[in-house]
Amino acid sequence: MTITRAVTVLLEDRLITFNRAVGLIRRRNLPVRSIAVGPTVTPGVSRLTIMIQSDEATADRAVQHLQKVVGVRNAAVFPARDGVTRELALVKVRAPGNRYGELLDVVQLYHASVVDDNPEATIVELTGSEAFVLSCIRALERFEVLEVARSGAVALEMGLTDAGARLPANI
Amino acid sequence: MGEQLTGSQILCRALLEEGVDLLFGYPGGAIMPFYHALPEYPALRHVLVRHEQAAAHAADGYARASGRPGVCVATSGPGATNLVTGIATAHMDSTPLVAITGQVSRAMIGRDAFQETDIIGITQPITKHSRLVEDVGELAEAVHEVFAVAREGRPGPVLLDVPKDVQNQKLEYSGAADATAPGARGRREGLADRPTPTALVEAARLIGRAERPLIMAGHGIILSEAYDELRALAERTGIPVITTLLGISAFPESHPLHLGMPGMHGEVHVNRAIQQADLIIGVGLRFDDRVTGNLAAFARGAKVIHIELDRSEIGKNVPVTVGLVGDARDILRALLDALEPRECSGWRGEIASFMRPRVESFKGGLSPEGILSALEEASAGRCTVVSDVGQHQMWVAKLFRYQRPNTHITSGGLGTMGFAVPAAMGVVLARPDEPVWAISGDGGFQMNMQEIATMVQERIPVKMAIFNNGYLGMVRQWQQFFHGRRYSATPIWSPDYVRLAEAYGIPGWRVERSEQVDGVLRAALDHDGPALVEFLIEQEANVFPMIPPGASLSEPIESEVVTA
Repeated sequence: MTITRAVTVLLEDRLITFNRAVGLIRRRNLPVRSIAVGPTVTPGVSRLTIMIQSDEATADRAVQHLQKVVGVRNAAVFPARDGVTRELALVKVRAPGNRYGELLDVVQLYHASVVDDNPEATIVELTGSEAFVLSCIRALERFEVLEVARSGAVALEMGLTDAGARLPANI
Repeated sequence: MGEQLTGSQILCRALLEEGVDLLFGYPGGAIMPFYHALPEYPALRHVLVRHEQAAAHAADGYARASGRPGVCVATSGPGATNLVTGIATAHMDSTPLVAITGQVSRAMIGRDAFQETDIIGITQPITKHSRLVEDVGELAEAVHEVFAVAREGRPGPVLLDVPKDVQNQKLEYSGAADATAPGARGRREGLADRPTPTALVEAARLIGRAERPLIMAGHGIILSEAYDELRALAERTGIPVITTLLGISAFPESHPLHLGMPGMHGEVHVNRAIQQADLIIGVGLRFDDRVTGNLAAFARGAKVIHIELDRSEIGKNVPVTVGLVGDARDILRALLDALEPRECSGWRGEIASFMRPRVESFKGGLSPEGILSALEEASAGRCTVVSDVGQHQMWVAKLFRYQRPNTHITSGGLGTMGFAVPAAMGVVLARPDEPVWAISGDGGFQMNMQEIATMVQERIPVKMAIFNNGYLGMVRQWQQFFHGRRYSATPIWSPDYVRLAEAYGIPGWRVERSEQVDGVLRAALDHDGPALVEFLIEQEANVFPMIPPGASLSEPIESEVVTA
């Protein structure tokens, strides 16, 4: 079944390793929704989260190939619905003075916050699932949205998991 | 205390520490410091090729024949890019190949310097690993790392890119002290998996109960030298053995349990056996599309046991009932312990009834079959055959009766024309004590025939055979069957090969009649050095049977009668 799946990769924090991991996804032509990478608590190791649209077999195969990449410590995949996924967005909005209060109402409704309040434009920060972020951006489009910067999703599987140990049952 | 060495000297020392004694290469600007150091290390024999592609193929051939990593060296830019086809060939066929390239000096990287290319970027999808050496301090460790990666697990090509100024950098060097810290190469160490006892028991149970089982043996048998184990498995169970293109010579062809090659040009009885099997034991193969034909119609009634070193291959193309991940030899041994002896005589009789006489598609006196059996006889079976790509490749695969392990070498996955001549140089240097035949078509031969000069200069006695039909034969065959006989760009002119041989100072013969074959082959073998034999074969001979692309193994074209 083609659904959104989170591929998480722990890898050496070198561009070449990131390049290899992402190149592998590119070569398999998997539909990618977002890519996010950042440091982990282990020095020298980054965590890469790739949200893909695929069936289970394709995703499992991608993970097995990722595990072969030199510099990749571990790779795993889980359906996005089995995890907590979050992304962050910064939205630069211009609201005319007479509608500023209305803008603040939207910000409050989405538990977002104003992180820069320039007379010309306001930067709103918001965090949530992809759907939540999209919905909030849509709400902000009532005003003039000048620029949007989204981080791409990061995700953790819910419950106690040892993602690296999970392998197809017949192996 | 170590001594002060340059990066180039350290590179040579690290190669020696890896057991390297042979390099195929071509010098140029960005690799000159390495070539400057090379004469100080006479234990490193360097073979100067005439084109870097040949260096990669020769190193590949050496690796396939010796089981040790083959090493090729090139300069930056065009030198490095010329290696690409050879690296891709090694990648598709899981060969341990180490490519060392010079790179422009670090300060020049990224400035489109003269002869600069991002060879790491270019080769990333076709290498198992690659590394740009950023400082002389990491050079030796980088060499050891890439060699380890090339060898371990499923072998493959690696590339080491060494900037010119790093080759000139000096460092106190005290030898191969610290190899890579454990775990630094990631999870792959953990991939030396062992199958669970339950999986083995399940596999043994399936083998015990199957009524129409088959063994399909691939390159993995040769890579892990599991010849005895494969034979023991077949003999204990009576299960017939199919060898894929790269699995040819993994099982003696005179053995009564040997069936032949499957797939696009596989024999009809082999493909029919696959289609009717209820169990396929695939060992060290990846169920390539040329083997399976239309996947949806492949062996519909069969359960599959897949024994494979690379976990990611299991279930990739064919649904697998039991996957056993690990070295073919280890797993076959464990499996043998779990197996009860059985027989398959009824099923073997059934397969025998599928057999039919081979369709002779050639006219005239010179048949590929005749040439190959004369070659077998003239070499008394003691030779290694390196084939190129195309029709002759299929004839060489199907008609020569391989008895000894790993005596058939060819470019399978990538299907690289031009492979045979340079690869055979590497094979000769790995096996100096037996004749090595490079068999090519007239197309593939002309892609790398410049290497005759290398053979002469380096005294590498490759015996070259050209199956000359004046066409790019396999493409012409496809045009005949699937493109309404429109022979677009397939007629190909050849030079006078006998005079070409003469120009290079080696003996050459043209064979036009069958009665010449034996004498010429013996003369070529008796000559101490490289020799060339051209066979003028039937122009429009075809390789039969043939599964049309996209069709199932049950739909072979068996003779000329059926033309689209």
